[in-house]
Amino acid sequence: MTESKQYDFDAIVVGSGISGGWAAKELTEKGLKVLVLERGKPLEAGSGYVGEHAPNWKLPYQGKRPRELYQEEYPVQSKVWFSFGEANRQFWNNDKQNPYAMDEGKPFLWARADVVGGRSLIWGRQTYRWSEMDFKANATDGHGIPWPVGYKDIEPWYSYVEKFVGINGKKEGLPQLPDSEFQKPMPWFALEETIHARLKKHAPDVTLTNGRCAILTEDLPGRSACHYCGPCERGCSTGSYFSSQSSTLPAARATGNLTLKANAVVERLEYDSTTGKISRVHVIDTVNGARSAFSAKVFFLCASTVGSTQILLNSTSAAFPNGLANSSGVLGHYMMDHTLGVSGLGVFLDDMDSYYHGNRPTGLYIPRFRNLNGQDDDANFVRGYGYQTATLRMDWQTGINTKGFGATLKDSLRKPGPWIFALAGFTECLPRESNRMYLSKDKVDRFGIPQVVFDFEWSENEINLRQDARKHADRLLKAAGAVLTVAGDDKMSLPGEGIHEMGTARMGADPRASVLNAHNQTHDVPNLFITDGSFMTSASCVNPSLTYMAFTARACDYAVKQLAQGAL
Amino acid sequence: MNRREFLQCAAILISGVGASQLGFSLSEEQQHFLADAPDFNTGKIDYFSPVHREIVAAMAEVIIPRTDTPGAIDARVPAFLELMVANWMNDGERAIFNAGLQDIETRIPLEYGKPFQQLSGEEQLQILEALEDAAADSPWYDIGNVDREYISDAPFICHLKELTIWGFFTSLEGGSQVLRYNPMPMLFDGDIPLAPGDSSWSSPFLL
Repeated sequence: MTESKQYDFDAIVVGSGISGGWAAKELTEKGLKVLVLERGKPLEAGSGYVGEHAPNWKLPYQGKRPRELYQEEYPVQSKVWFSFGEANRQFWNNDKQNPYAMDEGKPFLWARADVVGGRSLIWGRQTYRWSEMDFKANATDGHGIPWPVGYKDIEPWYSYVEKFVGINGKKEGLPQLPDSEFQKPMPWFALEETIHARLKKHAPDVTLTNGRCAILTEDLPGRSACHYCGPCERGCSTGSYFSSQSSTLPAARATGNLTLKANAVVERLEYDSTTGKISRVHVIDTVNGARSAFSAKVFFLCASTVGSTQILLNSTSAAFPNGLANSSGVLGHYMMDHTLGVSGLGVFLDDMDSYYHGNRPTGLYIPRFRNLNGQDDDANFVRGYGYQTATLRMDWQTGINTKGFGATLKDSLRKPGPWIFALAGFTECLPRESNRMYLSKDKVDRFGIPQVVFDFEWSENEINLRQDARKHADRLLKAAGAVLTVAGDDKMSLPGEGIHEMGTARMGADPRASVLNAHNQTHDVPNLFITDGSFMTSASCVNPSLTYMAFTARACDYAVKQLAQGAL
Repeated sequence: MNRREFLQCAAILISGVGASQLGFSLSEEQQHFLADAPDFNTGKIDYFSPVHREIVAAMAEVIIPRTDTPGAIDARVPAFLELMVANWMNDGERAIFNAGLQDIETRIPLEYGKPFQQLSGEEQLQILEALEDAAADSPWYDIGNVDREYISDAPFICHLKELTIWGFFTSLEGGSQVLRYNPMPMLFDGDIPLAPGDSSWSSPFLL
């Protein structure tokens, strides 16, 4: 093999999160020597999870958030209320050291991890298949461009990744939300059973099912079923939820074909105009600033939507003056995110003598029920939304401002209060050219790389979807028997707050209107693949990570076959 | 064996014997080890004057007294309050808190003939109730005011109550002897009986 000597590696993967971990696993298992570059710090699975299982009395300030520190150094990341905290702060990006820019009056929340494993350590773990309806949405209503891929193309890859990931859920046979390969579903609260029965009777248009999530209820090789401690985002030393650290990176390591470099920020990719391919990746060591470059036959960008797009925009050359693989000019545009937030919550006095054991790390889910058979008559929007739900029992925290003192106060605070059942709508976002990211002309980061600038606003369709989700949440909570309902905030979530940024290097059949072909390969450069959220041509309303995984595995399969045929 | 060594051994164990043998059969020792997370808390705080320290302890105990279970002093809530006032509060909050303590230190002996910390429990309760009555209009008492930013300009009594209640129920004693604590539940059951006297779980999810 004299040929392989010309290259440092067969393949280079940028990023070690959900997509990068899958690329590393697939490519190494197919025999390629792979280098994974991760800009974040090294982190050892298990022993690196220093806040795992920390009781409240061992947290700094017993869990009261250190406001000054967060304001000073984590003003963006600390807004990720459901995940960021002292027990896992070491996983997150320090905003002070890693600034980005926004167009005036257009805030954008860019949540970033800063460790090996990336956001797979701190994700919400919700995993849903797309349906044929989702892949056809653009072609049907004319927003964006048609997908070059249909459900049948990706279905076997969903099955393939799901068996490895380990997803628990309940089969429902819904056309708008195809079932996955499921492990046994997590049990329900008594109140959820009560609500389920009432919704069946009073709101038969919706289905209440398990939140489908990448948390084991049955053991898989090297990983144990969930022990229900609760806060997954602190890391899980039994590997019970899917992360690159628990799953794909160990698999890649086991092949002997993996080299992983942490603290390695990619500055740019080098395009060789004589071969028409990427020849090398240029890397800066985040600790000592040392520069290096590595060559390979094929390159996979899995650095997150914003990260990968930033690299491409920064990789200019005579052939690609507006950014690598950007002959179409769409790179950085058509950015999407899901809007989210509480649509409504209800207080329930049912099942008051029923309690629970264990902290179930997921809620239930109400799949999309609007605009399923063409356009609903009363809908002032296209597409739809689903609800993630949360069930919780009020406790001392919700009674902290109770009047009174002494033994009576103490006794009332220690006991469980009424139940709360909350519905949080996740709404689809349309692809629009004006929602974009670009590189700053005058601001650079600490490595001298131009800062990302966001220019993103919700459109009327997302606003109307959010209002509809609030309206129907109230209907469903009343149908479910709530004694009191409270509407969710009227405000839209911040762009980026869904942490589902997508679409800036979209896939399409027409190279003049898209960056990637149907195999996540750039139209312009054959040995360059992008498989993080930037390939998404539309957004659906379901959480996207499972779809990134399936497309990554499929793209790796394609790339390795192309390599074998000498086509790359 | 430290945590790191344990986890390395566990990893070898898992890869060697297959996870199905680990699964739900973590030994008692292993469960305790996993639950024994490192302590983030730092050294002792010396912020209050001796008199203020006594007042704070007496007030915290009025809010959450020892009954058949531990109270605020048992749970070291006074030390938590001192830590929070010294290191966690901003200047404005700290000024409100210190002025509140100073008011108690100077006013109470004039009105009751004795310092606050030497009064009977009934008199101490009366004083705190009067503070709460005077603060009743504060948005701190609004229904639903729980999942929100800390209210900086709330009256002294609100800061005192919030941090006392927080400090108590997140303490070892409050969290495990008054509430119920189980860091390794190993299973989820959404329907177990709740008797009228049963306490809530100590939740790892703090608002």
